[in-house]
Amino acid sequence: MERAGVPSVSVISSGFLKQAAVVAKGLGLPDMAIAEFPGVPMTQSKAQLREQVISQLLPRVIAGLSRPIQRAEAEPETLTPEPRDTIFRGSFDDVQEHFHEMGWSDGMPVVPPTLDRIARFLKFTARDPDEVIGVMPPANREATVWNIAVNGVMAGCRPEYMPILLAVVEAVCAPEYKIEDAGSTPGWESLIVLSGPIVKELGFNAGQGVMRMGRQPNTSVGRFLRLLLRNIAGFTHGPEGADKGSIGQSFLVAAAENEDAVAELGWQPYSVDRGFEAGDNVVTVQSVVAISAPVYSQSERADEHAALLADVIGQRACGYWTAIGMCYANWHPLIMLGPSIAKVFAQNGWSKDDIRNYFYQHVKISARDAERYAYGAGLTGFRIANNVKQGLLPLEYALSEDPDRLVPVFQKPEWIGIVVAGDAGRNQSKGFVCNHVQGVPTSRRVVLPDNWSALRAEMAPKGSA
Amino acid sequence: MTEHSYSSEPACDVVWPLGKPAYATRAPVERVADLSNKVIGETWDYLFRGEEWFPILREELTRRYPGIRFVTYDTFGNLHGPNQRELVAKVPSLLQEHKIDAVISGIGA
Repeated sequence: MERAGVPSVSVISSGFLKQAAVVAKGLGLPDMAIAEFPGVPMTQSKAQLREQVISQLLPRVIAGLSRPIQRAEAEPETLTPEPRDTIFRGSFDDVQEHFHEMGWSDGMPVVPPTLDRIARFLKFTARDPDEVIGVMPPANREATVWNIAVNGVMAGCRPEYMPILLAVVEAVCAPEYKIEDAGSTPGWESLIVLSGPIVKELGFNAGQGVMRMGRQPNTSVGRFLRLLLRNIAGFTHGPEGADKGSIGQSFLVAAAENEDAVAELGWQPYSVDRGFEAGDNVVTVQSVVAISAPVYSQSERADEHAALLADVIGQRACGYWTAIGMCYANWHPLIMLGPSIAKVFAQNGWSKDDIRNYFYQHVKISARDAERYAYGAGLTGFRIANNVKQGLLPLEYALSEDPDRLVPVFQKPEWIGIVVAGDAGRNQSKGFVCNHVQGVPTSRRVVLPDNWSALRAEMAPKGSA
Repeated sequence: MTEHSYSSEPACDVVWPLGKPAYATRAPVERVADLSNKVIGETWDYLFRGEEWFPILREELTRRYPGIRFVTYDTFGNLHGPNQRELVAKVPSLLQEHKIDAVISGIGA
């Protein structure tokens, strides 16, 4: 509005003021007019809400639209350091203290980002260190090849992970990923899924404990993205933090698909589902707002596995959050199938599409519950029938006006991701619930440098063969 | 550069982990001194009971400012919904078309 030359006032409830300040600054409007809505509107009675609007909000709205705004002192942006400037000198411990104090770490020790360490990362890309890969809102800072390497060093990555880090940042900076919403109240995290021969080349864990911290590549690549979200996009809990995850969750280690297991089944790897060629090195990033209970399905019959997976992952884990997916008409849950479970499906002639279709056809929720869940989450303007009228939901969602009619939990079968990973010696699977339009699966190819093998040999840890 | 030391271990020089700001700071546009006879636009993300508090604001503002008119949020659509980018892109032309003088934006209540 202001950019179009029209004065505006933004109504913000008390709990969102900190985030509003970061967004306003990132938009170049730090003095934007804000009218605070006191308290939590979702827990107020109608009478309380009316009283708050008249006594508190109304005068603030009037002031925001009509009272001249006093500009705060402009920040000296010229003091922004140059990338190669030394900004601190000290011991390992000193660096930790300084980075904690400045809000540049995630609370765990970071590897000090020295010029030597960064130079080793930069060897693994032909790109100009100053190239801007993307601008990351809401802080609206530039993610460059250089500061991607800096944060990779800090996260404990090895230099040869640099091509993966670049692909991850390209993915999350894509407009459709909506990284600006990574601090929304559901507290979603980005899950990185790595596909291709690079999984084995760099020693990523695709097997037992795939989602556990402990394996350097999985752990440090996952941690890197969370550090980048803090330092470039501004998602911190500090005094100026934009992270509004109400309870939140910690970063997710990068997952890797067990492509050997997939090949044995005669299935295509996840990268092919994402539009790439088998054998391509690909990262796919998507939001995860919740993870299902572990599903222990047992049978030699595919339909029996499908029934339990649909119950636990579909009905119980996704059946609540699907309401939010319906509001935004974009929702991409992911199923991580244990190799032994995937094998039963394949032996029974089931493809991944058969599993997706089973979920679509068998997992349902009442329209009444979906609208109730959405309302509670704050989506008070959502009505299923309206979204059907607008073509945002299939006609199947409004075949009658009965509020107790059952509608599919999964809007489109093709939106369900399936990755084979985890413990080959157990019969376990899990589901990952996506946060609707925020963090839709976004994939990018990992581009390796021409001298990849030679560089890897050069950078091999001391003592390795 | 800041320098500090708590120990006798070797010192290292480190660089800045943040990125340059990619925005230019500007002042808000001039306010509307008197809302009487003005056209007020409403934009909303269809969240947090805006369907209840926008009408109360309308009612109270109408009582205080003669001639005030409103272009309600349904004209703009859900600016944080499935069609966010398309709808946000249309905002400047809608502001012009409806000769809107000021906007109340319900984005995070």
